[in-house]
Amino acid sequence: MATDPDKIRNFSIIAHVDHGKSTLADRLIETTHTVESRNMKSQLLDTLELERERGITIKLVPVRMNYRAKDGGEYVLNLIDTPGHVDFNYEVSRSLAACEGAILVVDAAQGVEAQTVANAYLAVEQGLDLIPVFNKIDLPSASPERAAKETEEIIGLDASNAVLCSAKDGTGVDEILERIVTDIRPPSGGKDTPFAALVFDSVYDNYKGVISYIRVVNGDVSARDEIRFMATGERYEVEEVGVFTPEKRAVGALGPGEVGYMIAGIKSLSDAGVGDTVTSARNPAPAPLPGYRHVKPVVFCGYYPIERDEINLLRDALEKLQINDSAITFEPESSAALGFGFRCGFLGLLHMEIAKERLYREFGVELVATPPNVVYRVKLTDGGVIETRRPSDFPSDPTRQEEVLEPFIKATLFLPDAYVGPCIQLCQEKRGVHAGMDYITPERVRLVYELPLAEFILDFHDKLKSATRGYASLDYEHIGYRPSDLVKVDILIQDEPVDAFSFICHRNAAYHRGHSVAAKLKELIPRQLFEVPIQAAIGKKIIVRVNIKALRKDVLAKCYGGDVTRKRKLLEKQKEGKKRMKQLGRVSIPQEAFMAFMDVASDEK
Amino acid sequence: MRGTGRSPVVLGQGLSLYIHVPFCDAKCTYCAFASAPVRPGDEKLYLESLKREITARAENSPAIATLYIGGGTPSVLSPVSWDALIGIVERGFSFSGGAEVTVEANPGSLTREHVELWRGWRVTRVSVGVQSFDDRRLKFLGRAHDAAQARAALALCMDAEFSVSLDMMFGLPEETLRDWMTDLKTALSFGTGHISVYQLTIEEGTPFARQNPALPEGYAQYRYAQWRLARAGLEQYEVASFARHGQECRHNLNYWDDGEYIGLGPSACGYVNGVRRTNAPRLGDYAAMTLRGLPIISEERLEGERAARQAAVLALRTKYGITWKNFAKRYGAPVASAIRRDLERFPADIVTNGAEASSLTPKGFRLGNAVWAEIIS
Repeated sequence: MATDPDKIRNFSIIAHVDHGKSTLADRLIETTHTVESRNMKSQLLDTLELERERGITIKLVPVRMNYRAKDGGEYVLNLIDTPGHVDFNYEVSRSLAACEGAILVVDAAQGVEAQTVANAYLAVEQGLDLIPVFNKIDLPSASPERAAKETEEIIGLDASNAVLCSAKDGTGVDEILERIVTDIRPPSGGKDTPFAALVFDSVYDNYKGVISYIRVVNGDVSARDEIRFMATGERYEVEEVGVFTPEKRAVGALGPGEVGYMIAGIKSLSDAGVGDTVTSARNPAPAPLPGYRHVKPVVFCGYYPIERDEINLLRDALEKLQINDSAITFEPESSAALGFGFRCGFLGLLHMEIAKERLYREFGVELVATPPNVVYRVKLTDGGVIETRRPSDFPSDPTRQEEVLEPFIKATLFLPDAYVGPCIQLCQEKRGVHAGMDYITPERVRLVYELPLAEFILDFHDKLKSATRGYASLDYEHIGYRPSDLVKVDILIQDEPVDAFSFICHRNAAYHRGHSVAAKLKELIPRQLFEVPIQAAIGKKIIVRVNIKALRKDVLAKCYGGDVTRKRKLLEKQKEGKKRMKQLGRVSIPQEAFMAFMDVASDEK
Repeated sequence: MRGTGRSPVVLGQGLSLYIHVPFCDAKCTYCAFASAPVRPGDEKLYLESLKREITARAENSPAIATLYIGGGTPSVLSPVSWDALIGIVERGFSFSGGAEVTVEANPGSLTREHVELWRGWRVTRVSVGVQSFDDRRLKFLGRAHDAAQARAALALCMDAEFSVSLDMMFGLPEETLRDWMTDLKTALSFGTGHISVYQLTIEEGTPFARQNPALPEGYAQYRYAQWRLARAGLEQYEVASFARHGQECRHNLNYWDDGEYIGLGPSACGYVNGVRRTNAPRLGDYAAMTLRGLPIISEERLEGERAARQAAVLALRTKYGITWKNFAKRYGAPVASAIRRDLERFPADIVTNGAEASSLTPKGFRLGNAVWAEIIS
């Protein structure tokens, strides 16, 4: 029997990273006895091993809690967790679309940070009821007054009714549960309207196929119902519906306002896309529910298996990963140096890094990742436009380029005023355009810069961290394409361009970067029997040249009757070593050179 | 130019024989050879075991064309033991006319008595392990002799009218080119017909390897030796060997010609009927094994193309290189042409590919590994 919508509250917790979101979630689960305390492990909702290790949330995990309120009513509270990192912003908006309210957690010691603002605005935009919570009030450095002032001044939210809380020692948790019931409105869907539910996530199970996470808006759904995905038109018969306790537990039906899962023998994730609306096949809803904007990858890199014969293993792994993480895209590509691999698209650097690590941990694939790059738009003199996902997509003749556009982001930084100087310097180095600065309190500054995404993904986070000793917080949004004076730099070895070493950069940085790549290659490519020139070039114009001098001495000193076997083994080893190198023309290039190039691009400044 | 493919027939109707003497005055810090300072009873044990090994082989071997007694340091054996050793060899083998018999000697242990004994026997060549004429350098190497002893030993051997070779070493830590020039100049002043030059290398398991000293590249030293020795009339006939015409070491040439040889004594290696056999390296094990049979601890046989490529690498160590007609006859035409094709990929200043033969140039000698690694199987 479905739950009465009046007794349901659907909410998320939103916070800046490290402000205690997961700890608060754990405490709510514990207080409502949803999970026996002996089964509690810290940060219960972070199901991926990786999430728990890094203390971040990537995948959404809903949980259903039963709560008896002070008014004597039995309520069902559905918590839909949200990821904290900006890379996963799209998942935040997905979670929020399934909720009527959100708890906005602010660290009482840290105050409002960049993502607090971004996430709060996402929630406001979706029309959610917000409950401000000032967490970590047990800390000596906690200042709820300052947190309140910042919440009102920076975000513009009324903080007078904020809950003071310590998720760590349990202070304020009861009040939060009560406020969820009183401050967040119940879902409004109708029971007698045709069934419509939003798919807010899905996972793939080897036995059951796709498991869709749904939020029912109107009507209800139960096993054996015939349903249809509105975007794809695919029809299925429902096998099972259930709720998250947080383990999956089958129930008879899911009614309006309820959050749960649905299994319907769906074999491919593309047939049941996240953001799609599920409806009844016989009595469909007139229009799909408002979905989410389709997220497009912004950062691309090549993934190549370290063992070349593992290419099929990598393909399988990527396919499975994509089922769980629909934001990943991939397409086959090949490189002269690295063999066969895939050009993969991600939402950001962390997303990319996590995908790589999951491929290794969950699928046992070890891979080489090429340096990340963004998608450029190249306007050609003949009027055509190329979208480039890799340097080799650029026209080989630079005179065919009319103009190159690159993606820009607007980065908002919150930082103590002592670090404003280094931060501005960093943004300028990264070709940033100043777009605003204000003092949000006498000590804290909001700095806004427009930055090329390419510079941002290179090492902006790391540089920012060291420039501000970790005291800055950051949020960003994409603001579209702008023209930039970008060039493709080719690296020529023995006069032959080597595709794996080409890169795109601003014209002013071309010499410097070309030089460091050439210098690194000079260091890593062993001397050959002849002199090998390494050049960096823009089109036909050579901008850098270094030479690897010819090998001049390499000889086994002596070899008499007793040495023959040992010397032969040494030579065989030498030959084996050379065989493992990539042969480009007459030049042997060790694999390490390609690997190191991956680093150079990021070492680079 | 002499061709390769000189079979023992060309060498003089016979076989090559190597006898290892596992004793030294002192263990040099860089040495990885099987050798140890003599302890009481060791010489006797060694001679008895050697005698048993020769008996156990019971081969009706053809006459010996070249004999090389090396070590260790054969001159460490006392004249009395030498007398016994000569007796054992003479009873075990016959020698062809004009056989080349080389003995290694170290200046620290060589005496007039040794020289007279050898003179009275069949010894034709003495190879003196000088290494340097600089006391500082000798001390660094842990050699048991000083420069004065080296000069005296050389004089002794020259006076006895042996064909004398001396070993010189370059590439010591902090060595300057001038140090090496001075050393080579002194070496040449004795007018020997043969000089071997070796670069100091770090061998696993030696005291040196544990110190892991920084060593010079040695390019300049080696290149200078190539130039200087040639100017003094000593032609480079192998990577490490320089000789006046006719003074080349025939015993070593046989190794590089992929010729057969018998090896006797601890750690010695023999190569007969395509099989390389190595003896137990330590005297105790060696002696014990000779009580039961042959003291062999390992065997290796290369087949077909691998054997041919091994032979090609050995041949390319010498100035004669590979003479294709002979090579094709010994190892087959297909593999000969395959190797020829491999060699033709090298620039002419490294490998000379002539109609008759392919060989390394002086620059090629300096880059031998890079060439050999290409053609080894």
